[in-house]
Formats: sequence, C-alpha cells, structure tokens
Amino acid sequence: MTGLAWKEWPLVGFTLLSQAAVGAFWMVAGASFYLESASGWNSRYLTFPFLAAVVVVLGLAAAVSLFHLGRPWRAVFVLNNLKCSWLSREILFELVFMALAASLALLVLKKVYRPTLVRILVALAFAASVLFIISMAKLYMMRSVPAWHGLHTPLSFLGTTLLLGPLGAAFSHDTLLDLGRKARPFLDAAAIVALAAVVLILLTIFLFTPGLGFLGSKKATLLELPAARMYPYLLFRLLFLSGTVLCSFLYYRNPTSPLLTLAFLSALAAEAAGRLLFYAVYSRLGV
Amino acid sequence: MQQAGGSQSSWVRQYAFYFDSSACSGCKACQAACKDKHDLPVNILWRRVYEIAGGNWTKSGNVWIPGVFSYYVSMACHQCAKPICGDGCPTKAIYKRQDGIVLLDTEACIGCRLCEWACPYGALQFDEASRLMTKCHFCFDYIDMGKPPACVAACPMRALDFGELADLRKKYGGTNQVFPLPEAALTEPALVIKPHRDAPRATRDTAEVANWEEI
Repeated sequence: MTGLAWKEWPLVGFTLLSQAAVGAFWMVAGASFYLESASGWNSRYLTFPFLAAVVVVLGLAAAVSLFHLGRPWRAVFVLNNLKCSWLSREILFELVFMALAASLALLVLKKVYRPTLVRILVALAFAASVLFIISMAKLYMMRSVPAWHGLHTPLSFLGTTLLLGPLGAAFSHDTLLDLGRKARPFLDAAAIVALAAVVLILLTIFLFTPGLGFLGSKKATLLELPAARMYPYLLFRLLFLSGTVLCSFLYYRNPTSPLLTLAFLSALAAEAAGRLLFYAVYSRLGV
Repeated sequence: MQQAGGSQSSWVRQYAFYFDSSACSGCKACQAACKDKHDLPVNILWRRVYEIAGGNWTKSGNVWIPGVFSYYVSMACHQCAKPICGDGCPTKAIYKRQDGIVLLDTEACIGCRLCEWACPYGALQFDEASRLMTKCHFCFDYIDMGKPPACVAACPMRALDFGELADLRKKYGGTNQVFPLPEAALTEPALVIKPHRDAPRATRDTAEVANWEEI
C-alpha cells in the first residue's frame, strides 16, 4: 500500500463528480431522445436547471482537480500535448462536453425552437462525454502500472458512470427535471440502469480487482499488493452497494423520496470507497 | 529551466550511464555527490543506491551452508530512448535533448505527477517545496563543459562511467536489466550494466530491496 489513496482526494472527487455528471447526461438525454426526440426548449428532460447542473458539477470537478496540481495556476498548459497525452485529451473532451452542455442550456433558456440543432448538439455532447470517459480511463492505463493497465480501470469507470449518473438524475428529478406525474417510467428506467451498473461493478470487483480478482494482476510488481489492507475499502464498497440495491428495491415497493436520496447517497459512498481502493492499489513495475 | 543546449556534445546521439554492479561497494558516494551538486532537498534522491539481498541458509546433515547474497544497484534517470514519463506529460515539460539527455522544463511543469506514476525507475520525484517535479539531468552543465557527471566523478570504485551508448555497449556489452530493474523493453533505458555474479539468482521471489528506508 503506497498511501496514495487518501492523498489523491482531489482525483477521487474529480473522477466521481465527472462520471456522475456524464452518467446523468446519458440517462436524461437518452430518455429525451427516446420519449420526445430531443425536440428542444419545451423538453421535460433537457431542462435548463438540469443542463446547468451538469455544467456546474463538471466545473466543480475541474476545480477540485486543481488541488492535485503542484502549480494549479499553470493548468492552462494542460492542453499542450494533445498528440500524446491522455491527460491533455481528457481535459479537452471535458471542456468540449461542458461547452456543448452549456450551449444546450442556453438554447433552452432562450426558448429557441431548433429541434435539429438540439439533436446535433446532444449527439455531439454524447460523443464528447464518451471520449472524456475513455480518455480518463486511458490516462491511468499505463504500461508500467499493471494494477491499472487492465480491464479493471475502464470497467470501474463505466460502472461508476452508469450507477451515479442515473441515480443522481433520479434523486434530483424533482428539482432539475420537469416530469410531473410522468416521473415513474423515468425513475424505473434509472433504477434498471443503476442495477445493471451494480452487476457490472460486482463482476469487475470479483474478476479484475488487482491482487484479489480472479483475473486481476497479481504479484506483478516489486511492492506486493497487500490484500489485507484492501479489504476495508472493499467491504465498505460492498456494504454500500447492498444499501443502494436495498433502498432502490424499497423505493420500488413504496415510492418516497427519502429512499431515493438514501439510494443515491449509498451509491456515492460505495463509489468513493471504490475509487479510494483504485488509488490504493497503485504499484508500478521496477522500483 | 533546464536549458536545451548540448553544443559541446552534439556529436553524441545518446548519452548513457555504465554501472558495474560487481565493483560497487554500496558506499553511496555517487548519491551524496549528486545531492551535494544539485543541493537536493530531503526526500529527493536523483541517484539512489539499492541494496539487493536474497537467498537463504540450507542445512546439510549437521552443517548449515550459506546461500545468501547481496549486491548493489546504483540508479538515476536512464535517459530512456522511449521515455514513458514524457509520453503522458500534458504540457510537454519532459523532452529529449539532441544528445539523448531527458530534460524537464520546470517553467512548463504543472506538478500533476503523472510522470512520477509512470517512471519504472523512480527517476521523477516531486519536490514538496517548489511543488514541481525534479529529475536527474545527467549533469548536462558539466557535460557541456566537457566534465563527467558528478556521480561518475565521485565513485571511488570506478563502478560508474558515462558516454555514448553505442560506445559503452561496444566496451562493456549490452546488458541493461538486472533485478530489481523492470524489463528494458518497457522504456529502452540508455544504460549498460555489468551484473554482479549473484544477479542471475535474484528474482522478485528470491530477493528483495533491503534498504527501502534509505531511498
């Protein structure tokens, strides 16, 4: 154990907030496309509060990540190596996604009825967000760090995106969306995606967790991955994932908003533990 | 900023270190000379001497037979042909000079520490005071004056040498990996090693770095 986990709280915050914002956008944009063809200013899904919240959360994530930098005021140089660096690409795609979400928010706010333009912007924002998540994963998949080089990294990030996003959108639908009495199908869909994400996360844990998973990298580096010290993070994550599933199930039986809040908070705690575990297993080849 | 110069060494295509593990006594004069020359703060060692220990005692009848071994590996930045540290750098702060020396532009570095994660030799080190990365730059100022790097000059056992990689390979052979260094194919280090006689016995399962607390 390298002590990297807690030290990297800005990156834990950045990745979780970004992935939650992207996942929520996927969920809501998907619902908008499917149910109302992403028509524009009168959308029940692509509302100004929701799109503004996506931009704010992404901005907050970027702000938190600055605490990771030794010289945060030089962060503007981060786009200098788009040709080779996945970190440069990650920030580029985050900025593009933010700009597209902000453009959509502006269109909705100004009540501009341009369905084709909205669909193009939504499609571009979706593409940018996918590239953002891919870049985020590729950045960690270094050849010299076996624990991060495998499938564990992209599957973990995808699982978090699909869990926190839909649950976040469902949790905040009263405030950010305009669903009224038609909220139930959206909430059910969000719950199904979140449950699928839980399954993906569990498979990732048991198959690919470095040092523990059946297919994960084992003893690849000089510094052994101390399994015993990874268990607290792992147990914490499993406990809160169970809490998420339980609260979602209870909400399905008896829809009350505290249960939805609990499900989201539980998922957030589970993913925070998962991300701390991700940084805790860092161990590189060589010395 | 570490200046990109190299006027006096422009005929060199790739500078490299040579390390004779069979001659190294582990005195750490190279480490001390480096720290002194560059006035490095606590917790930063551009050159580090690893003590490798392994093996065991085995009993044969009433006799215990010693099968233990140890040797030293002195390491700095190996000015790799494929510097994995620079690949991920988002600001292009890490670059290679014409003579193969890998430099760090401290004016461009943002301290994201991605290079520190990536380098399998631990060459990139974060300075908490300046909040920037630091690394061995092969004493390029000495090189440009026609002098050897401080670590090479300080070695009392003449276990360190430097020069054009091709020349060093011709003179000393092509070995560039011993335990605990990673597979050379990962970064293609500009390094030539004369392994200790016990190095072939050392693997991750039979030997360990015995002086982590010193480095």
